[in-house]
Amino acid sequence: MTPDLIPVSPVSTLECRSCGAGAPVDEHFCPQCSRILALGRHGDYFTFFGLPRKLTIAQDELERRFRELSRKFHPDYYYNATPAERLASLERSSYLNDAYRALRVPATRIEHLLAIEGLPSTKSEGTESGAAKVPPALLEEVFELNEELDEIREQRESGADPAALTARLVAARAPIDRKREEHERQIEELSAQWDSRLENASPAERRATLEALRETLLERNYINNLLATIDSVERGL
Amino acid sequence: MGKVVGIDLGTTNSLVAYVRDGEPRVIRDSAGDALVPSVVSVGDEGTIFVGREAQRRLLTAPSRTVYSVKRFMGRGIDDVQDEAALLPFTVGGDPGGVVRIGLGEREFSPPEISAFVLRELKQRAEEHFREQGEFDFEVDRAVITVPAYFNDAQRTATRDAGRLAGLEVLRIISEPTAASLAYGLDKKNRGTIAVYDLGGGTFDISILKVEDGVFQALATSGDTHLGGDDIDRLLVELVLDDVGATHASPRRPELVQTIRKAVIQAKWDLSDHQQAEIRVEPLADLPNGYRRAITRAEFEALIRPLVDRTLGPVRQALSDAGLEPGEIDEVVLVGGATRTPLVRRLVGELFGKTPHSDLNPDEVVALGAAVQADILVSGRREMLLLDVTPLSLGIETIGGVVSKIIMRNSTIPASGREMYTTSVDNQTAVDIHVAQGERELVADCRSLARFKLRGIPPMPAGLPRVEVRFQIDANGILSVGARELRTGVEQAIEVKPSYGLTDQEVERMLIESFEHAQADFDARLLIEARNEAETVINATEKSLRRPDFAGVTGGELSADELTQIERALADLKRVMAGSEREVIHEKTHALNHATRHLAEVMMNRSVREALAGRNVKDV
Repeated sequence: MTPDLIPVSPVSTLECRSCGAGAPVDEHFCPQCSRILALGRHGDYFTFFGLPRKLTIAQDELERRFRELSRKFHPDYYYNATPAERLASLERSSYLNDAYRALRVPATRIEHLLAIEGLPSTKSEGTESGAAKVPPALLEEVFELNEELDEIREQRESGADPAALTARLVAARAPIDRKREEHERQIEELSAQWDSRLENASPAERRATLEALRETLLERNYINNLLATIDSVERGL
Repeated sequence: MGKVVGIDLGTTNSLVAYVRDGEPRVIRDSAGDALVPSVVSVGDEGTIFVGREAQRRLLTAPSRTVYSVKRFMGRGIDDVQDEAALLPFTVGGDPGGVVRIGLGEREFSPPEISAFVLRELKQRAEEHFREQGEFDFEVDRAVITVPAYFNDAQRTATRDAGRLAGLEVLRIISEPTAASLAYGLDKKNRGTIAVYDLGGGTFDISILKVEDGVFQALATSGDTHLGGDDIDRLLVELVLDDVGATHASPRRPELVQTIRKAVIQAKWDLSDHQQAEIRVEPLADLPNGYRRAITRAEFEALIRPLVDRTLGPVRQALSDAGLEPGEIDEVVLVGGATRTPLVRRLVGELFGKTPHSDLNPDEVVALGAAVQADILVSGRREMLLLDVTPLSLGIETIGGVVSKIIMRNSTIPASGREMYTTSVDNQTAVDIHVAQGERELVADCRSLARFKLRGIPPMPAGLPRVEVRFQIDANGILSVGARELRTGVEQAIEVKPSYGLTDQEVERMLIESFEHAQADFDARLLIEARNEAETVINATEKSLRRPDFAGVTGGELSADELTQIERALADLKRVMAGSEREVIHEKTHALNHATRHLAEVMMNRSVREALAGRNVKDV
């Protein structure tokens, strides 16, 4: 099995299955007969929501659009429609729900932006498999933390006072927590930078922002895993 | 086109409702009762009894009578072995397959049993529409509710049951969201709602957000094996332990059922009183009967662990929705078991507000189902329900690990895709195993289906790129499609549901149910005759029991007439238990006839009372 790497097939027009007219790929309804259109495989959640490709999205605005589009696409309202429309409604609703889920959370929103801008997924360097490389920027912290965790585990085995070990863990956690906050801040800054560069910056500058975002995101994911490890050691005490 | 209804297919009771003039209403029988007990019994001649009639047979023919079948929907024998041991009917089936329930000489799958209940509801609704003078009274489509936490197999089993009952199932919706729709009709139109649904056999908690008429489920959690039945079982165990000390008799079904009936009454009494008595009348296994006082405090101490088990899912759902208990605006209670004061108190404490109970907790789900049915067929758009899938969907990968494709609490419809390739040159098929659940290993999740992806064009290993699409529809039911991307060839998929019926099995059952239609029809006529008899008996007894009976009749009734009434009454009661419809009819008529004068006397008396103290001008 391979990870999901579907090529985004560049379809520029859709054909309306109800009247046969052509429609721009980003339209939801046929300009000719106003029936719901089957889904094209363009894979861009921002356009689907009618939003610019920006990382700052007002939550209530996103929710409002989600409700509005749900009311347009939901299978409930196509019960009496033709099979083609019912299928289109199912596909479009599913896609809407997937898109909403991705855009609602900043981390997955950035992931999606990276994907549609053609950058490799941060997931593919899978921290889930546990085989992720240590990001160079974190080498020092990771080295120290691992040493400390090893020692704490050893002392636990030899029956040391759990309260003292917990205190050591809290101390070991502090620099990692700081790193995490630092990364959250950087991600916010880079996101704002992307938004401002969207209109008046060169492609190279925009690309640089995305690369930086991706790096920071990878590091942040790594940090989250470190924190999860600390939590599990703490539970073991 | 026939009529459309909403059905709450419950563990203990089921109901049917519909919308007229924009208002949902439940359909009641002539006695004003909306609940049809979800009980099915098979008579000696193979006739099928459903509802009240079947419930009566729990005592007289327990091994031929099945209740709480919802607990077995979409499950395998290996899941239910423990509780099956306590049940008076036989629960069997092949390991890894669907549960089979043996009743007398016949064997049924859970969807077949549920179909009998659904057919009863369908008939009840049709009768109602006919009485309303509707020309087009046939009920052919329905929205049926299921616990939010039902998995794909359980939802599919419910849909199969609808099909077997001759209903097109327009939609399967979850019970808590249905309840929120019923409440949403006249509530303020924004806020967060927690629906706490403790039914006969299942517990659900759903957190919803309502805005602009869109009811969006944010998270749901629950336990498909926790409900009022478990409370009853604890009480039954208590009594069995007590009597077991003196009686070494095996657990006879009659004994268990008689005790069950007694403890349920005590449970109900304890909702209104601080103390109650469990009272079992003497029977063969228990010659001296049994009596035991129980206080509400004792009862609450006994059931507290059960109620506490609901709090885990509540916290899980809140955390999934990203909300604190205090951020919930409205708390709605659903299900008969929420009448228990302890449940109300604990839920109130948890959320820090008094739960709503303006609508009857037994009826609110059916009302919501009717609203959803109306939305589907009428095109009204002021409300929209967006439900979520309760469990993550994944596929088995190397080492028996589940790779999740659609996460739990995803709004449905939802879709996901996964790429497959081959591991051997010229391999043309791949095995796929779909599971539902939150655990990492497939062995700990619910197996939904196994299928073979066939027709992959022969290519060197690793070259084919087969995209498998998983689609969860608005019912929460999965379908699967696949395509080889290099060639564009659609793949044939044979899905073998792990704990469901195949289409062929459903077809066969449909045919069987037609074959049994005559027997079922006869059974129905018998039930109607009994119901009619019961109505007359009740009315007569009510009159005779009045403490002021003599005063009311004012001596207008002769001793002879009274004797005749009593004789006719005894006659009818005697034949009621039998299955000869004509005899029951005859004796009902006889009692009717004997009481005619009594009825006149009573009637005149109430007219006189109503007019007393008024003069002719007022009338």
